[in-house]
Amino acid sequence: MKTLDIRTRMLLAALLPLTLITTLLAAAFLTVRFDDLQTSYEQHNRSVVRQIALASEYGLFAGNGQQLQALAAGALHEADVRRVVVMNSRGQTLASAGEAGPVPTLAMSASEQQGFIRQAGLDWLVQPVYPSEVQLDDLFEKNAVEADRQPNQLGQVVMVFSRQSVDARKARMLITGGVIGGVGLLFGMALAVFLSRGVIRPITRITRLVERIGRGDFAAAEQLRDRDTDHDPLQVLQGHIHLMADRLAQARGELEQQVALATQALREKKDEAEQANLAKSRFLAAASHDLRQPTHALGLFVSRLAQLPHDAQTGALIGNLEASVRAMQNLLDGLLDISRLEARAVQVNKRPFALATLFDQLQQDLSAEAAEKGLRLRLRPTDLWVMSDATLIYRVLLNLVGNALRYTERGGVLVAARRRGSGQVVLQVWDSGIGIAPEHQQAVFAEFYQVGNAARDRTKGLGLGLNIVQRTVNLLSHSLTLASQPGRGTRFTLCLPWVASQPFLADDMARDKAAPDDLAGRSALVVEDDTLACSALAGLLESWGMRVATAHGPVAALQCLAQGEMPDVIVSDYRLQDGLTGLQLVQQLRQQLGQTTPACLMSGDTDPAVIQAVQAAGLTLLHKPVRPAKLRSLLRHLLMTPPGQRPTGAALS
Amino acid sequence: MTRTLRLLLLCWALCLTGGVARAQPPEPSARVVIVSSDTAVAYAQAAQAVVDTLVRQGVARSDISQVFASELVLRQQSGLPLCPAVCVALGSEATRVLLAGPVKSPVVSALIPRRSFERLLRSSGKAGSALVSAIYLDQPLARQLALVRLALPQARRLAVVLGPESSAFAANLRVVAAAHEMSLQDVTVNNLDDLAESLPQLLAQSDVLLALADPLVFNSSTIQNILLSSFRARVPMVAFSPAYVRAGALLALYTTPVQAGQQAAEVVLGILRGRPLPDRVMEPNDFEVGVNTQVARSLGWSFDVDVLRQALRRQERLP
Repeated sequence: MKTLDIRTRMLLAALLPLTLITTLLAAAFLTVRFDDLQTSYEQHNRSVVRQIALASEYGLFAGNGQQLQALAAGALHEADVRRVVVMNSRGQTLASAGEAGPVPTLAMSASEQQGFIRQAGLDWLVQPVYPSEVQLDDLFEKNAVEADRQPNQLGQVVMVFSRQSVDARKARMLITGGVIGGVGLLFGMALAVFLSRGVIRPITRITRLVERIGRGDFAAAEQLRDRDTDHDPLQVLQGHIHLMADRLAQARGELEQQVALATQALREKKDEAEQANLAKSRFLAAASHDLRQPTHALGLFVSRLAQLPHDAQTGALIGNLEASVRAMQNLLDGLLDISRLEARAVQVNKRPFALATLFDQLQQDLSAEAAEKGLRLRLRPTDLWVMSDATLIYRVLLNLVGNALRYTERGGVLVAARRRGSGQVVLQVWDSGIGIAPEHQQAVFAEFYQVGNAARDRTKGLGLGLNIVQRTVNLLSHSLTLASQPGRGTRFTLCLPWVASQPFLADDMARDKAAPDDLAGRSALVVEDDTLACSALAGLLESWGMRVATAHGPVAALQCLAQGEMPDVIVSDYRLQDGLTGLQLVQQLRQQLGQTTPACLMSGDTDPAVIQAVQAAGLTLLHKPVRPAKLRSLLRHLLMTPPGQRPTGAALS
Repeated sequence: MTRTLRLLLLCWALCLTGGVARAQPPEPSARVVIVSSDTAVAYAQAAQAVVDTLVRQGVARSDISQVFASELVLRQQSGLPLCPAVCVALGSEATRVLLAGPVKSPVVSALIPRRSFERLLRSSGKAGSALVSAIYLDQPLARQLALVRLALPQARRLAVVLGPESSAFAANLRVVAAAHEMSLQDVTVNNLDDLAESLPQLLAQSDVLLALADPLVFNSSTIQNILLSSFRARVPMVAFSPAYVRAGALLALYTTPVQAGQQAAEVVLGILRGRPLPDRVMEPNDFEVGVNTQVARSLGWSFDVDVLRQALRRQERLP
């Protein structure tokens, strides 16, 4: 049912009883008046007919038609009389007057009779005429027979009356009653509207006020208060609403103030935390940069050292040394990966590639480690191709398989790929290791989280691997799931989009392997302000058969060119003397050379800004410590590939 | 007002006498028993007049007892004998009861219309009996015509409406009228319609209308119209009862109950003194003349009722 608004309800409440009472009163009074009219009409008729009957007694006795005719004619002057007929006792009409019309043909009647002719709206009355009795108390009339005798009827008078005037009066009365009732009703309506307005207006005002307050406009209360009049019937309510609005406004002010204070405090805390984080990052960056430089040089030296001929004992020592350096380098690489992923500086380069290549690489990189622990590393051969970034997937697999090997004491690790129906390739890494309890399965992806390594044994890694995996997979929009049972083993499942095999795409790595010594005879310009690192790098490059020119700074490098050196490739440190960056130097050198000589930059800096700047310039940034193998691979790539096809911005480490 | 008071007094007196009568039922030794037809005032007046007259003439009050006709019927049914020296019957009913019953005493009947007495005699079969004597209520025709002559000397044409009961008078009436130098215009009606039709014509040919008691012609429902007709025709009516005078008749000649009672008492006294019962019927020997002065004035006459009465009495050589 439709809800009535307050105005309609009030009007209804006022008007319904009014209408009812008016109608009932009018009906009651009119009914009574109609009855009165009808009764008086009937009484008048009866009295007229009786009068005529009485008056015609002697005329009937004497058979005096003339007198009766005069009487009948006179009777017509009475109100409503339409017809008068006087009949004698034999039923003969002695006198008749009035309009000819339907007169009931009646036998002589001993009693009064009356009736109504509906079609014509006429009443008829029959009045018998008896001689009037005169009391004669003489002694001659003691005859029982005579006393009982019915008086002789002289005749009867028939009169017809019209209801026309009564009906007209009734109609007039009805109209009058209707008009009075209508006027009363209208007046009542006007009064109800007028009075209800006095109530509705304040209510409407208060409704609007509350509505505005509800919308938060507390000033509305003040605005209305000014317009208040003393005779507002809802003043008390309004006053309370004002009070409420005031309180609300006050409460809201206090709340806002508190929120502002809290926000301020939070902001300060956040700033502090950010500051602290920044300080930590800066410290980490600085520390890692400072660590990188010597580690970089150390790695290069050890690499160089390993290439020299040694006796068996020294060779073993150098092997251990290499392993230590590699661990250190891995650690720093892990930090670097996190740093880069955090900076979103990793560019995704999705293209179809064969999983078999990755598997070969993994086998090559990790079989030694597996063999050391006496584990069986098995990569099930596959010919599936996927669409993803081969480098990033390789890092993911490297981390996952490395982890698996690390946490497995017996049995082995299996890497397998199979195609699933929905255009996906499922890549799984199984191990028979210690497993991960359900409560830890979420936490293992956090930074520096390690299951069962409370002593922080560094041979078990840093605890960055799964974090890197997770971040990388997220970056690639792949899905990674983990299933594990403590003591039974763990299974990581990676879903990759499948593509049809594309044999014409030659694999870079395979090709690289095919020509191991193609760097020989090429010339390189090494710009490095750190003497140790410079000599180590130069020595390494020379050991690959390259001709190397070194410069400790930009000036020296420009001089070097000025002396007629035409390097095939430029290898420069990023941070140089005189506040110049390697990026700027490479541009200057290229200008001087008049050609876009291939170049790569090296840096111990993990600052995301640096990484992005280098990528923007289309150069490759190698992070210290640089692995000799990686450097060699990059150089080969730079020198073999024509300038237009070089990968831009791939930050390799 | 005075009329009401008088009625009350009368009732009281009746109660006294009636109470005496009832308290001491008429012993077999009562010499006079007065039987009233009913409790009407006229009978009470007449009874009182009988008692008064007898007492005044030396009859002991204890020798007189009064009874109503209805009581007498009950007494006769219970077999109580009633043997007074004489019975006085007041009215037709009392006369009928006495004639029908086993009473052997002579009966003096008063206040009885002539036709009623004749009918009673016919029906009771005591026609030959000498034990009943009646004093008629009706005035003799000669007296009535004498009154007309005295009161309305110019009137020569006498109109009479006769009914079934009074038609027998017609011949006698004609003789008497002629004796009073008047011509009789008579009409006999058998129903009311005849009356209405014949009356205007009759009145048109008459100087005076003499009303003779006949229940068909003169009764309470016809009298008004007859009087109206006669008044319109300016024919005065001479009637036989004071009620007619009150209703609008010009004159009436009648015997009052007291006069009738006194006459009956005279007869009773004679019987008590050993005289034989007089003739079977007696004309009333006293009368009154009533006049409606209003009607008389309207018709242009004026009468002195005492003068008229005395004149009539002188004509009849009554004391």
